[in-house]
Amino acid sequence: MIEVKNIEKTYRRGDGTPVAALKDVSFKIEQGEFVTIRGASGSGKSSLLNILGCLDTPTSGSYLLEGEDVSHYTDTQRSHLRSRRIGFVFQSFNLLPRTTARENVELPALYTGRPVDRDKVLFLLDRVGLGARSQHFTTELSGGEQQRVAIARALMNDPSLLLADEPTGNLDSTAGQSIMELLTELHKEGLTIVLVTHDEETASYAERLLFIRDGVIATDRSQPGKTSTTSNHSERQS
Amino acid sequence: MKVFLIFLMALRSLARNPLRSFFMMLGVTIGIASLTALASVGEATKQETMQRFKRMVGNYNIVNIVPGAARTRGMPSLTTVEPSLTFEDAKALARDASSVAQVAEAQNAFDIDVKYRNKTTAAAIYGISSNWLEMHSYFIETGDVILDDDVNSLARIAVIGPDVQAALFANEDPIGKQLRIANVPFQIKGVLVSRGAGPGGSSMDSIVFIPVTTASKRLFNRNYLTTITLQLKDPDNPQTGIKEISSILRGRHKIVPPIEDDFTVSSPRATAEQVSDVRSTLGTILFGVAAIATIIGGAVIMSLMLIAVSERRGEIGIRRALGATRSDVMMQFLIEAATISFIGGLAGVALGIGGGAIAASQQQLPPVVMWSAILGAMLLSVVLGLVFGLQPAWKAAKIDPIEALRS
Ligand SMILES: Nc1ncnc2c1ncn2[C@@H]1O[C@H](COP(=O)(O)OP(=O)(O)OP(=O)(O)O)[C@@H](O)[C@H]1O
Ligand SMILES: [Mg+2]
Repeated sequence: MIEVKNIEKTYRRGDGTPVAALKDVSFKIEQGEFVTIRGASGSGKSSLLNILGCLDTPTSGSYLLEGEDVSHYTDTQRSHLRSRRIGFVFQSFNLLPRTTARENVELPALYTGRPVDRDKVLFLLDRVGLGARSQHFTTELSGGEQQRVAIARALMNDPSLLLADEPTGNLDSTAGQSIMELLTELHKEGLTIVLVTHDEETASYAERLLFIRDGVIATDRSQPGKTSTTSNHSERQS
Repeated sequence: MKVFLIFLMALRSLARNPLRSFFMMLGVTIGIASLTALASVGEATKQETMQRFKRMVGNYNIVNIVPGAARTRGMPSLTTVEPSLTFEDAKALARDASSVAQVAEAQNAFDIDVKYRNKTTAAAIYGISSNWLEMHSYFIETGDVILDDDVNSLARIAVIGPDVQAALFANEDPIGKQLRIANVPFQIKGVLVSRGAGPGGSSMDSIVFIPVTTASKRLFNRNYLTTITLQLKDPDNPQTGIKEISSILRGRHKIVPPIEDDFTVSSPRATAEQVSDVRSTLGTILFGVAAIATIIGGAVIMSLMLIAVSERRGEIGIRRALGATRSDVMMQFLIEAATISFIGGLAGVALGIGGGAIAASQQQLPPVVMWSAILGAMLLSVVLGLVFGLQPAWKAAKIDPIEALRS
């Protein structure tokens, strides 16, 4: 599904000094896995996720998405990949202001060039538990509900990979838990999920944990997913 | 499909921000409104001038020959007319010019005293051949026209305009009454239908027609003509006819270039177009100001759009993350700019037509709806939006989604 080989990411500060955010990172993620990336602030989690999500390209190394080396894709090619294969969920929900839940879920369909499947929009809103609120404006929804809309939106184009950067970071623990339960359900239905978090409780839902420190994968281990029954306890140290 | 969806989305995002959208279109609306209003008032003025000219000439399918070279052309009067056009010239043209269908003769003078009993009025006196009235679209209200017999017998009969009737025969039937033109008695044979005002705004009804032979021998004692009017066989292409006429007259008058012609051939339609096309300096300045206002309207769209792009960085980041390409984002903002400008232009056209109609009615001009100007204004507003939307759209497309999403 995903294969990252010797990836490095070096940013340049305003004054030109280089910042190595990722140093020689390699790992694989199989189809249907639920992986959490943890690490301290500034350790390179978001940098990695941006590369996995084809928002950014690595400075060196290769990234294979479903067998395709996309590390040198152009901006337009990566846009098409994001449109068709990747769903994003953000910490701050990132719904469009002054729009309804339905309009937000429709949005990704626009960039496929195909007509919007209204039934699917309503199905997805129903799936995340907001079937009755499709005409509500995003400002009329609670944080947890907004994040559910964002998840429905991420699923609109049937992505093969769902990426979530701190999806519970702006939510209280109850709302956070229910979002994590929703993601776990989606995972059980076969969705591949990569999730970034600071939070141990949030991380515990995943079956596999990648711990990143100073741009290097420090730990890579399987863990019993919270609602998963099929996980094993083997450790994979890097 | 995608473009259409992005267009719908642009409409929605404009509707989401009605106040900003309103200010975006305001400048274009004002500019286009003034352009449309000025264009339609200008066109109304032109059409009115053409109409008045046509009322004076009666007919655009004719050409006129007047004595004298073009630069000395002016209103003929008894004193200033060169005696270069003769009855024989008119007959020769009727006989020899193959492009000419018929020829009418006229000998006229202005401001001549016309008396009936103790009343006096001043009128233009036209000595004419029998076909003149019809060629100039004059019609008889009562009585009869001037006939060939009247011309051949040097009859002292007159056909009068309604102003002359009003001045001299307030409560009387003028037909058969004796009129004195410069103290020569004439019997009134007919009264004309009113023609209204000429291009200068003065009445064309203060006029008396008499047979051209009578005018020449019994009234003015002149053996030359002041105008020869010709009806061409092909009135839509007067130039061929004018060439033939000129060469016949040059032959008769023994004029060899570089000697100047002693006559001028003119087509009333061409003259009317020339006269009515003259734009006033003020009109040109106003037009320039309106054009500048429209361009400023475009610049307003650009600057508000640039601000909007900065405010909507987050939105742009989201769209990019969800799969929008740079060109999708670029297209969105271009379409937004073009749409708002087009709506502004539409409102401007509506205001301009309304304003133009009010201005026209105040100047007693006929209301004119200029479809070409309306179409042009709409096209202009779209182009304006696209041109001034280019920079904001480019700025939006260049936004890095990662940074936009972080903020
Ligand atoms: N555009 C950039 N330009 C320069 N340096 C950057 C840029 N983006 C990230 N960095 C740096 O790269 C390093 C990794 O950043 P990254 O955002 O990946 O960390 P993170 O693990 O997501 O942190 P957090 O938990 O705070 O979100 C940090 O030192 C950061 O300052
Ligand atoms: Mg981060």
